[in-house]
Amino acid sequence: MVEPPYPESAHDYAGDSEELERLEAAMDETPRGALVVSAIAVGLLLVGWLGLYFLVFLPRGPVG
Amino acid sequence: MPINESAILKSELRWAIVVGGIVAVILIAILYAALAMHINPPSNREYVDPKTLHLSAEFTEANLGTRVDPNGQIVARVIATQFEFVPNCIVLPAERDVTLRFTSPDVIHGILVSGTNVNTMIVPGYVAQVHTRFTKTGDLLMPCHEFCGLGHSQMLATVRVVPPEAFRPKPDGRIACGNPR
Amino acid sequence: MATLARPASAATPGRTEAAGLQTSRLVQAHIWVAIAAFGIACLLGVWQMWARSPLTAPYHTAANYFRSVTLHGVSMAYVLTTFFIMGFGYYVAETALRRPLPGITWAWAAFCMGIVGTLMAALSVISGNASVLFTFYPPLTATPWFYIGLVLVVVGSWIWCLLMIFAMRSWKAANPGQPVPLAMFGTVANAVMWLWTTVGVAAELLFQVIPAAFGWTQMVDVGLSRTLFSWTLHAIVYFWLFPSYIAFYTMFPRAAGGRLFSDTLGRLAFILFLLYSLPVGLHHLFMDPEHSNGFKFLQMFLTALVSVPTLLTIFTITASAEIAGRMRGGKGLFGWIGALPWDRPMVLATGLAFLMLFWGGGGGLINMSYGMNAMIHNTSWVTAHFHLIFGGTVVIMYQAICYSIWPSMTGRHWVDLKPLRLQLWLWFIGMMVMTLPWHWLGLQGQWRRVAAFDYSNPIIHSWGPWVIVSLIGGIILAVSALLFLYNLASLYRRGVTGSPAAIEYARAVHEPDRVPASLNGFGLWNILVALLMLLAYGWPIAQFFVYPPPEAMVHRLG
Repeated sequence: MVEPPYPESAHDYAGDSEELERLEAAMDETPRGALVVSAIAVGLLLVGWLGLYFLVFLPRGPVG
Repeated sequence: MPINESAILKSELRWAIVVGGIVAVILIAILYAALAMHINPPSNREYVDPKTLHLSAEFTEANLGTRVDPNGQIVARVIATQFEFVPNCIVLPAERDVTLRFTSPDVIHGILVSGTNVNTMIVPGYVAQVHTRFTKTGDLLMPCHEFCGLGHSQMLATVRVVPPEAFRPKPDGRIACGNPR
Repeated sequence: MATLARPASAATPGRTEAAGLQTSRLVQAHIWVAIAAFGIACLLGVWQMWARSPLTAPYHTAANYFRSVTLHGVSMAYVLTTFFIMGFGYYVAETALRRPLPGITWAWAAFCMGIVGTLMAALSVISGNASVLFTFYPPLTATPWFYIGLVLVVVGSWIWCLLMIFAMRSWKAANPGQPVPLAMFGTVANAVMWLWTTVGVAAELLFQVIPAAFGWTQMVDVGLSRTLFSWTLHAIVYFWLFPSYIAFYTMFPRAAGGRLFSDTLGRLAFILFLLYSLPVGLHHLFMDPEHSNGFKFLQMFLTALVSVPTLLTIFTITASAEIAGRMRGGKGLFGWIGALPWDRPMVLATGLAFLMLFWGGGGGLINMSYGMNAMIHNTSWVTAHFHLIFGGTVVIMYQAICYSIWPSMTGRHWVDLKPLRLQLWLWFIGMMVMTLPWHWLGLQGQWRRVAAFDYSNPIIHSWGPWVIVSLIGGIILAVSALLFLYNLASLYRRGVTGSPAAIEYARAVHEPDRVPASLNGFGLWNILVALLMLLAYGWPIAQFFVYPPPEAMVHRLG
């Protein structure tokens, strides 16, 4: 029988104090950057949507 | 772990508020278009029996095409069938309220008019109806945009939008394309 | 190369059969079927674009074109997705729960059922008796064997759903009070959602389409069949998307060398998908005459809500990327972006997937906007939208998932990640080059689903150059697809042998010790789904029985 490959190794990538320190330092700043980047992204989406709404959709005339 | 989760969830909440605001702007714009400008999807829900279309009062062959009704309403009636539109060219005036009425005796079709917001599915069993007002003149494409069989690609009609002063129906209220194109 | 190209320290010579995963063969069998369908569909797609361009394509007849489109759609939407999702689900069940998959014999039975169904459907299409596209709207009706083949694929996927639910249940019984690992939680959310999703199309097929195809009935209520199909048509896209989201939440942060920003948000996003992907399908019928504006508006509103879990995901995953970037020394508001390990396929694919999600999601916002849908309904705009979402975000993440799990399938490590990155970049570039012109053409009124355009018409003539540009995009995509196949196949013969551990999933910044029962199972949420579906689809379906519309004659092909 093959032995299952999923024992202890699961939790090997964090846990040492050096990594935790880096994580804590990173969390001091996070998520300011993410907030700015995602706000820019969805802001652009909104601008694009409004652009199509005012520049293409409404000028093409009413339907219903 | 010293980093507490409530700070993380708080930032997620802040983001959710941003998201909610953006969705709200879009919804308000849609509502404005629907309520103030009467731009809605075509939702006519008017039944017609596809088996007896040719016997119905409205969609007999003689009654198809554009007609100015006695009350002044401009209505174009078109049958979409495998694989043509009857008629395959209709004349309509720009800057006037017009109504397009479609139905199908066989399978599902659909139309759009290029460069406009005119768009509807044509489902057998129903009269699809679109009210509109064309904002530009010219020969516009009106293709079948739903797959309806192997001849689907040939289903292409013309909507000839003419200036209001050039829109001169005959005494019986009818107007046709003459020679298409 | 933290996650992918580990040094072969624990090399066990001669052991190439997987990393000892019990599901290894099962997963590979599923994914190879998925990839075979994908490869064929990509090549057909290029030919279709060639046929629609001003250039002269070989074998170009309407019959061949619609045969090809049907095969392309069925292969991509039903075969690639279903088989990939099932295979990946088995993999997650074993590796995230860290225990053998219960009922593996049933899994093989479901696989065989799927294969028989796929072959039946494929042969029906190739014979020319099923050119009804993957949406098969009645009254056009194909040979019954086409639909029965599809039903077999769906029934096979139901077995998968039950196996996933059972695997989670038995894990919970063995680990009382423990949070279900997020990857498995997402997988089971998808299984539960898929059971709900398939109800619509199953009802349409069993009660309307198959009886019509066999000739037992001569008339069909077209409005009802479109409504039942719409029940399935939106949630099915989330069924396809789920593995991508699971990879965003549980694989990407690990590959980037950081942590998942919030485990709770992951659970919440998966639950919101379960709730809001279903009661929104009427937005595919905005332009239909059989529904009132009231229900169209209601489902538009619910559709706006389904954008919320995606927008939350964008933020959570971007924040996870920020953690990783800062842990790697990135500074300032944007410095963390450059500090990310973009050379790793999972990181690169996630970035590219987000870019395609931006364009595809933006197009989708227009599509869902009620009256505004009239501007682009059934034009190339829509084709562009779902190629970006499905062909873009979904497929590039499937590719990245394959690259991540393949070492534990073959027992070999990647030696060189360059061909992997090249393939992902080509896929992204090809998809953008193909779909950006489609948006433009869609706004001009270029309509969908035609075998050829008459370029002698002056309006259509002006579209020609853009159609050729998108054809070039399609060719790039086909090259990328072939390179993808080659990359995966090459890992069986090349690459450093070793005994790679199964993939390890990302840990969250705040790892939950306990989560509320509502975030650890789906019982409560199923009740809410039922209520939402009753609200959204109750009357739209009941109206066909209360006020029966005239029915249409069945049109049988072949």
